[in-house]
Order: sequence, then structure tokens, then C-alpha cells
Amino acid sequence: MGKMMFIDLTRCTACRGCQVACKQWKSLPGEATRNTGTHQNPPDLSFNTLKLVRFSEPKVDGKLHWLFFPDACRHCLEPPCMGQANLDDEGAVIQDEATGAVIFTDKIANADAEAVRTACPYDIPRPEKDGKMSSKCDFCIDRISNGMKPSCVHVCPTGCMNFGTEEEMRALAKTRLEEVKKHYPQATLGNDDVRVMYLFAVDPKNYSYNAVAEAAPTGPMTRREVFASLAGKPKA
Amino acid sequence: MPVSRRTFLKFTAGAVSCSAFTGLGISLAPAMAQAEILKFQKTTITTTVCCYCAVGCGLLVHTADEGKGRSVNVEGDPDHPVNEGALCAKGAAMRQMAENKARPPKPMYRAAGAKEWKEVEWDWAYAEIAKRVKAERDASFTLKNSKGETVNRTETMVSLGSAALDNEECWSYQAIQRALGLVHIEHQARI
Amino acid sequence: MTNYWEDISNSDCVLMMGCNPAENHPISFKWVLRAKDKGATLIHVDPRFTRTTGHCQLSAHLRSGSDIAFIGGMINYILANKLFFADYMREYTNASFVVGSKFSFKDGLFSGFDAKKKVYDKSTWAFEMDANGVPVRDDSFKNPRCVLNLLQKHFERYTLDAVTAATGTSKEDLLAVYKAFASTGTAERSGTIMYAMGYTQKTVGVQNIRSMSIVQLLLGNIGVAGGGVNALRGESNVQGSTDQGLLANILPGYIDVPKSSFAKYEDWVKASTPVSKDPKSVNWWGNKPKYIASLLKSMYPEATLEEAFQMLPKVDAHRKMTDYFWLNIFERMHKGEMKGLFAWGMNPACGGANAQKNREAMGKLKWLVNVNLYENETSSFWKGPGMKPESIKTEVFFLPCAASYEKEGSVTNSSRVVQWRYRGPHPLNNVKPDGDIMLELFKEIRGMYEKDGGAYPDPIKALNIADWEEHNEYSPRKVARLLNGYFLKDVTINGTTYTKGQQVPSFAMLQADGSTTSGCWVLCGMQPAADKHLGMRRDKTATEMQANLSMTPNWAWAWPVNRRIIYNRASVDATGKPFAPQKAVIAWKDGKWVGDVVDGGGDPGTKHPFIMQTHGMGALFGPGREDGPFPEHYEPMESPLKKHGFSNQRVNPVAYLLPTEKLAIADAKFPHICTTYRVTEHWQTGLMTRRQEWLLEAEPEVFCEMNPALAKSIGINNGDRVLLSSPRGEVNAVAMVTERIQSFTIMGKEVHQIGLPWHYGWVTPNFGGDSANLLTSSVGEPNTGIPETKAFMANVRKA
Repeated sequence: MGKMMFIDLTRCTACRGCQVACKQWKSLPGEATRNTGTHQNPPDLSFNTLKLVRFSEPKVDGKLHWLFFPDACRHCLEPPCMGQANLDDEGAVIQDEATGAVIFTDKIANADAEAVRTACPYDIPRPEKDGKMSSKCDFCIDRISNGMKPSCVHVCPTGCMNFGTEEEMRALAKTRLEEVKKHYPQATLGNDDVRVMYLFAVDPKNYSYNAVAEAAPTGPMTRREVFASLAGKPKA
Repeated sequence: MPVSRRTFLKFTAGAVSCSAFTGLGISLAPAMAQAEILKFQKTTITTTVCCYCAVGCGLLVHTADEGKGRSVNVEGDPDHPVNEGALCAKGAAMRQMAENKARPPKPMYRAAGAKEWKEVEWDWAYAEIAKRVKAERDASFTLKNSKGETVNRTETMVSLGSAALDNEECWSYQAIQRALGLVHIEHQARI
Repeated sequence: MTNYWEDISNSDCVLMMGCNPAENHPISFKWVLRAKDKGATLIHVDPRFTRTTGHCQLSAHLRSGSDIAFIGGMINYILANKLFFADYMREYTNASFVVGSKFSFKDGLFSGFDAKKKVYDKSTWAFEMDANGVPVRDDSFKNPRCVLNLLQKHFERYTLDAVTAATGTSKEDLLAVYKAFASTGTAERSGTIMYAMGYTQKTVGVQNIRSMSIVQLLLGNIGVAGGGVNALRGESNVQGSTDQGLLANILPGYIDVPKSSFAKYEDWVKASTPVSKDPKSVNWWGNKPKYIASLLKSMYPEATLEEAFQMLPKVDAHRKMTDYFWLNIFERMHKGEMKGLFAWGMNPACGGANAQKNREAMGKLKWLVNVNLYENETSSFWKGPGMKPESIKTEVFFLPCAASYEKEGSVTNSSRVVQWRYRGPHPLNNVKPDGDIMLELFKEIRGMYEKDGGAYPDPIKALNIADWEEHNEYSPRKVARLLNGYFLKDVTINGTTYTKGQQVPSFAMLQADGSTTSGCWVLCGMQPAADKHLGMRRDKTATEMQANLSMTPNWAWAWPVNRRIIYNRASVDATGKPFAPQKAVIAWKDGKWVGDVVDGGGDPGTKHPFIMQTHGMGALFGPGREDGPFPEHYEPMESPLKKHGFSNQRVNPVAYLLPTEKLAIADAKFPHICTTYRVTEHWQTGLMTRRQEWLLEAEPEVFCEMNPALAKSIGINNGDRVLLSSPRGEVNAVAMVTERIQSFTIMGKEVHQIGLPWHYGWVTPNFGGDSANLLTSSVGEPNTGIPETKAFMANVRKA
């Protein structure tokens, strides 16, 4: 069954506890940033920013929304990054049997970083700036293997981030969807072939370009290209 | 297989060393348990309360070398009734407040007209500040006001702060300032 | 807070106004959302759409500085539609009290106004007393001078049209908010108000809170679960530092500082102690002589009370108290009248209104001592922007101190819960805890007085530092014993003998004759034995009744007497039966009180519930404030209007105002309403958080939020550099163009609102911009002196 995370976006306040707690647990460095007219900062995921709260403020049916999207690896049930990276080195990406966590090993340095990123339906992996490594969220494998919650879940004040067995999380997602639909008729769950499932109050496209992945592409486009073509431009 | 500290550091960079694993689909739990033990090895855990807003969230501080080293992890106290382990961005970053290269190691003094700080010893700083406090107090002390009423005060010295001190310190601080005769005692609650 | 954080989840309607809890008290939002889960309506009233607003079912867009108009409209709505909780209002508030015939209100002015001195003669607001000295009541509410009728008359002018014109809020939104909140005016339902500096940092700050208190009293929402008037305090121990009297007007435990007119100890005690002739009024402050005596004995145990009183510094009785407050201190410092400054854990170069004036003022000091974790804009003001270090004669000492978890001691959160913090690592670089710094410095000063003598050395020599020290170090545990208090000699109370040195178990046992110490009477009971500090408790057990309210009475300790909801006696009727049985706070069961620690004690129906009020009643009419017994709308000192719709009195007539202050009133050069605020990722002046890369990367520099229409009209694109200006100064910022800020139509005129956070300063990061307080003005609230930093006028243009 493995573990799963359920992210209820109707409860997110963008306090960014998760963004910072991730760096705290992993002792990752901060980045040199500037304000470019948005609160979203660092501007994107990076080798040192594995969890990022994305901000958008769309008008949906004439009503202003300020939407927040804590973005990180979805830990796919069948991770395309693993298929891609392991073509170059068999041990580059592994999947933990007990939890289902998808983990980059140090052999990821032997894989084609751009190809690995492109393979990801959610555009998550990021290469090292002047090196060969790539990185992404590892589901706090050290914590969850020891009965602790991932840092981002542990820190979350509002019940936006949840962690448990696949069964528990799928049940919670279903219950919450029903509750939320009363107030947000457009509410929907995101992709379900992953271990990080989101509940969106409005059309996922309003949250982030990579909020959901479309079905596997049949044509020459990669999945990333597909949603790049579908998604609106992110703002604020 | 033993996991070295070096290997552990690799975990923290977001990529796990595969030296501990032989292939796909393996359970990582035993190796991870060791990694966990390494992170917390020989740490003491103390509880604290967040230093920022007054929600009063509880935190756990892991201090290395059985309390003789530095804090290596600070996270929300899951048993605390108010925050139940949760923290905001500031609380989550609290370790950087204490473990920070920008903290000056020693007192500093800036002379009149000087363009730079000078590092000084604690004893020197105390002695020099005390001299100035006494000189100003002695020069300005007022036993009676313009109406001839007893006031026993100095008006030319001011104290501002501090809502970030502990209760005990706040109380001692006001006692000291009032013993010196200050009436201009203000702090964050006024603004 | 009257209530506690977890209790917010018990509310049926959470009104957040003058605050932004999702961003500034993020963990409180855990409890706000739990209330919502249980069916509560969340309301946000604010000039901006913030991270709080999106979670609320209702929101109202309010011009900065028009809160009283908004709430006044709600009071009118409640009274006109009789939506109050009638039993509560009649029995537990002063609604039925008859006000004396000298009271009047005309065209924005209350009776007793002295136009020359800009003060009110408050005696004209006094209640009518009967032959026994008890306020006359008219429970039939027929007397036109009873409080309820005066209140109705006062607020009937706050019509929807008048309120809309002042606030810019649409009538639909006003009505929706009024209706939702007024729905809590029943026995079973409760509504809470959460507020912060958006209420207080105004020239009508106290009256903002008064107006909301009136709403809460009318609706029966004080003393009940899910109710209350809840100040979201912004510093980890600003509750505690206030309790400990770090203010010019109060000593520890909210005891008024002595004035020059008191020749003797008894003059002070008599003037400070209210008297009630009503047998049902607990009049808790009637105990003040015990608290004053115990405080003096904790400072000067060897002195008599008279001697200790003499040793306390006095403020002049003939001056306004605001003369001693922050704004006037900087005014005098700017004139060169102040010589020495301790800025202890504080950064006034960024945190105070009119920051440039503060920075210049510090250049006129002889010396400045700054104690902090990091170098900051105050410690280094002499090398700041526009400063010429060579011409600044101020000597500066910077003393680095320990971080919060590198020492031990207690802090008191907004729920009044005192929690002990333990030391993790030792202080980095062997810097010292603040307690050690102040003690060592004081001993140095004392040594000099002992050796050389000097001006009036008595209080310095007599100060009881023996109770602060252990092994030559500052001992927070020992000081905590003193804050609680101990017996100075054997004392027998009601047949029990307490021995010399024993901790005083509760403030009920404090003595007026000098036989007890207690540094801060509200904390008495916190440490009932020398080795037992209740702030260290980590026990989450609770009775079913307590657990039902998410109350954890055995976790740490709340002042007073571990009471978690103050004025809880107002949650039950005269028989002790809870008005809201499904969320009962206290109840009279089998001859005793169960639940929370009851306010006032005694059998049901024997005491009025508002025990800190002299007459025991919730104050709809509040004759003690400097600016009137009822709230009244005035414009902020700086506003786009020359005249508003409520009276010809443009601004609060008794506000703290310096003739030299440069102001923009309906001034085309400064056409936009500006406000300041915080973001989650930084704290206060940013002194600590700007040093932390995990936080700085998220919010690296100062920004100015403005709406797209304004941006377009002045040629600004999102992300452009802009220059904000006010009559006091300029700030360079990044434009954040957003629909989350909208313009207002005020008195028929369209005005734009802009705003910026005040976390930044020139020391670091070097590109981050400077303090928003370079723009704000040093005008102040008449009761508290708090500067009006939340509503002022500014311009913005492309940099």
C-alpha cells in the first residue's frame, strides 16, 4: 500500500512553513532572490529548493481568488523519472518498497538531467547549477522510515498537508472533496496515480502550470510540453 | 550496512547515496533508521516557545554533543496544545536565528565621531557604560519638580524595550530602571 | 485576549478586523479553520485582500482608519433591530445605569471639552448615584439618560449611507457582515473578534476596541466560549513585558505609577484604589493596597512601605501622561533634551513612527546602549543613509545577547498562558543572556555608588538583587519565585500559618502591611512552592467539560489564577446555569463551580461578573477614557477629507499632536491612503529575520502593493521600482500591482489605497530597502500614545 500525502489546497494559507521546514530538516541553503512583483519566492523549484509554494491570483467567474500551491515531487506510483534515469544508470532512481517514496540516489549524476526533468509529468527534478546531480523531494524518507511525518506535513498548521497510509489518504481525499464541493462546486481532486494527491477548489489550471498532468501524450510532445501548451501563464 | 555521516549529508542535499542499496524495490527502512539515529545521535532535546508572535507555539530543540554543542534541528513540538507540532515560516526557520554567522561575538563600541565599530571586552563595556550612566544620573537627578513636589527621578535617560525578554528579565529590567530613577520607560507595547 | 487561542474554534462567527491572522499569527488560523469546519462564519474586514481573506465566507473592504464608522453601523443595526442578548445586556452591562445630567454630546464633542488645553473634564460623564453611593439603574430603560438610550441616540447617526460614505464599504457588504455577526446575540451562539495593530495604531485606537467591546457586550459575547475581545499580540512576550510594567504609566501588575502630587504612600494607595458601595460588586481593584505593598516589598524588602514609595520615581501630576510616552520622548530627544538611551532588544530606528526623526534624535544623545542579537539600524544609526559619522558625537555600545533558546525563563502568550522555556545550546560565542547583562551592569553601577556616592543613591543601594542571583549568575528560577511572591514573616490567614520564606499560594493571601512580596500580583499562584513553577506543566488532562472547549488547564498556567476565559461568570445566569450548555465554560453543580476557574467566587447570582470594573458591569458607557465615554468616528490625522459626514470635528480632538508635525490633509501632493503591515516571513523591523536566508529568500525586499488602475495611471508595471513619499520621508520599493487592493469611494470621491510592509532596513540586505516608518507620522492616540502608523497619506511614482 505504501504511504501517501494528501494536500487540501482549500486549507492552505501560504504560511510557507512547509517551504522553510523542508530546508530546515535538510539544511539546504537559501537562495539569493529579488522581489519581482510577486510573493512567490524563490521563483521556482531548484536544486536547493525542493518544496515551493506557488502563488496565483486569478479571477474565476468574476471572483478574485488568491491561490497557493505547495509544489514538490508527486512520488508517482510508476515514476517516469525512474524509467528515464535508470536507462543511464540502473541505480539512479529507486522506489522504496515500504513507503513508495521515489528517491534519487547519488548515481543520478550519471543520468541525463534534462531528460530526467523532461520525463517528469510535473516538471519537478532540478539539476545542480555547476554539477551533475539532480534533486527533488525524497518524501523525508529518513523521517517516515522512523515513524515521523515528513517535515512539510509536520509543520503545517491548517490541515492542508496530510500524511498517512494510502488507504487513509484516499479516504480523506474523498471525504474532503464532498465537503468542499458544497462551497466550491468546481472542486476536484488532482491526479491519482501519485502519492501526493491534491484537492483543488477551482480548476487546477488556476493554481500552477504543473498542478496536474494530462494523460500520457500520444504524439511527439512530451508530457511537459503538453501541459506547457495547456496551462495559462502563472502570475503573482 | 553502516551509514557514514558523509552519506547522511548526501541525504540532506536531496539525493540519497545508493551505496546502501543494491537495486530497485528495496525497503530503505533499516538504512534510514540508522540515518535517523545519526542525525539525532547524542543530541539532547529541550522544549522552548517561539520567539516571534504571541501565539506561543512550542518547539523542540535538538542540541548536539549531549547539549554541549549547537542546535542541529528545531521543529514544532507535537505535544503542544496550541500548535500541535505546526509552525509558520518564521518558527520553522528558528534555528537560523540562533545558528547564524552574523551574530557579533563580542561587545562593540563606537566612539564619538568614529566611522567604525571597535570590538571590546565585556568588562570594559560594563565599566564604561556604568560611568556614563552614573555621570548622567548624578547630573540630571531631580529631587523636586517645579512645583516643589518630591519626584526623585531623572528625565534625561530613556529606556526602550523589551517585549522579547523573558518575564523574569522584564521584571528585573524595570526594577533596575526605576531604581536608577527613570520615568521614560517604554517598549514595543507602546507602538 | 479574554479567551485563549484554541477557544477560537468554539466560535460561531469569527470577525477578524484590524488584523491578518493567516499571515501574522499563522498558527491561530489552525483554530480559526476548525471553527469554520464546525460551521462558523469567518469574516475579514480589511483594506486589502490578504492570505486571511480568501478563507472567509464574508469579507468587507474597509478604508484604513474608518473602523468606528464600520462598527458604529453595527451597533446601530443591533439596537435598531433589537438583536442584542437582552438578559445579558440588562444584568451584566451598565445599559441600565443613568448618566448624570451634565453629560452631553454635540457635533463630535462630548461635554467637558476644554478647547485650549485639549482635554475633557471627565466629571461631566459621571453616573448618577443613589443615596448609598451605588449607580442609579433603570431596568425599564425608560429614562432617556440611561446608557442604553444614550447609546442608541449616539449611534443612530451611523446609518448605512453615512457608514458607506466614510468606509468605502458597499452597503451590501456592510449588511452581510452586520447580519452574520449580530446572529450571535443569542444565549447559545457566540462570536469572537480578533484584532491587532490595525485597531490600535490609530488616533482613535482605544475607541476602536471600545466600539467592538460594546458590540460584544450587547450580543452577550464576553466571558463565553468562542467569544471575547481578543488582541492578537505580536511579540512572544509583549503580554508579559506589559504585565511587568515596562511602560511609563504602569508598574508591574497594572498599578499606576506614582505621581508627584502624592506626598505619602497612603496618598498613592488611596488614589489608586477604587471603591464600590454595591455589595454585589467584587471590585477586585479594591485589593490594590495588597498588590502595591507586595510589589514594593519585592523591590525593597528592607525598606518600610513609606521609604520604598519615596524611592520610586514620580511623574508630574500636572502634565499629561502622554508627555512621558514614546512619541514625546523622541520629540524631546530630537530637541536634545535626552542624553542617554538604552535600546534593549529594540530597533526604534525602524520600528518607531517617523523613523528619520528618531534616527536624527539619536544623534543628539551623549550615549546609546543597544542590546541585541544582531547589529541593526539603531545600533548603527550613525552610519546610516544621510548620516555623517564624523559629526555625530553619540557614543554607542552594542552588547550581543543570547538567543531565546540559549537561556531559560518564562514568556506569556496572548492567551495569558505563562510557559517556561528551557536552554538548548549555551549562548553562541559565550555571549550572555539579557538577565546576566543587566545584572552585571547594575552591579557595576551600584559598586560605583557604594564607592563614590552620588545623587540619591538610596534606591540603587537598596534594590533587592539578592533574589535574582545564584552562584554569581542571574537566576530566572529565583526571580520567578519573587514574581510570585513569598512571605517575609510568619503570617496566619484564616487559621493557616504561612512561614517566613514560604511561597504565597495565591494573590488572595497577599498582604497590605508589607509582610509579603509579589513582584507582579497577577502571577501570584504561578509558583506556589519554591521548586514548583506551574508554567513548566505539560499535562494535557482535562475534564470532559474542559476538553469540550479544547481547554488544557493543566498545561502551563494562565494568569489570573489559571483562569482561561476571563469574565466567565457572564457565561451563566443567576442560578449558575450556562447560557450555552453545549459549550459551557463554568457551571454550578452540586454546590460548587465546575469547568474553568470561576471569576469572583461565591455562589451563583451573588456577584456581578465584570469583577475588574468598579461597579461590576460591562462598560457600554466608558467614562474613564480621555476621548469620550462612547466611540465616535473621526478622520485619521492624515486623510483625503477636509470634512467627514458625522460632525465638524475632523479629528480626535484630544489626540496627541505636535505643532511641528508635518501633515498631509486633503493634500494633492499626497493623494493616496497608505498603510503598513507585516508578512509571515518577517518579524517586526526584520532585525532578526532579515538575517535568515530561509526567510529572506521568500521576502527579500520591500514592496508596495497597489491596484492596476492606479499603476496604469502613473505608468507603473508590476515589478517596477517605485518611490513612495510622505511629508516625512521617502521609501524606494518594488511595485506589486494586484487586484487584491482596490480603490475606495469616500464621501463621493475616489481614493486609492496603497501599502507596504515595515520589515526592512538599510543594514541588511543592502538591496532590501528601508523602513516604512520613514513615511509614518508621529501623531498619537490620546489614552495610549500609540502612533497612527496604519492610516496616513502618501504619494507613489516611478523611481
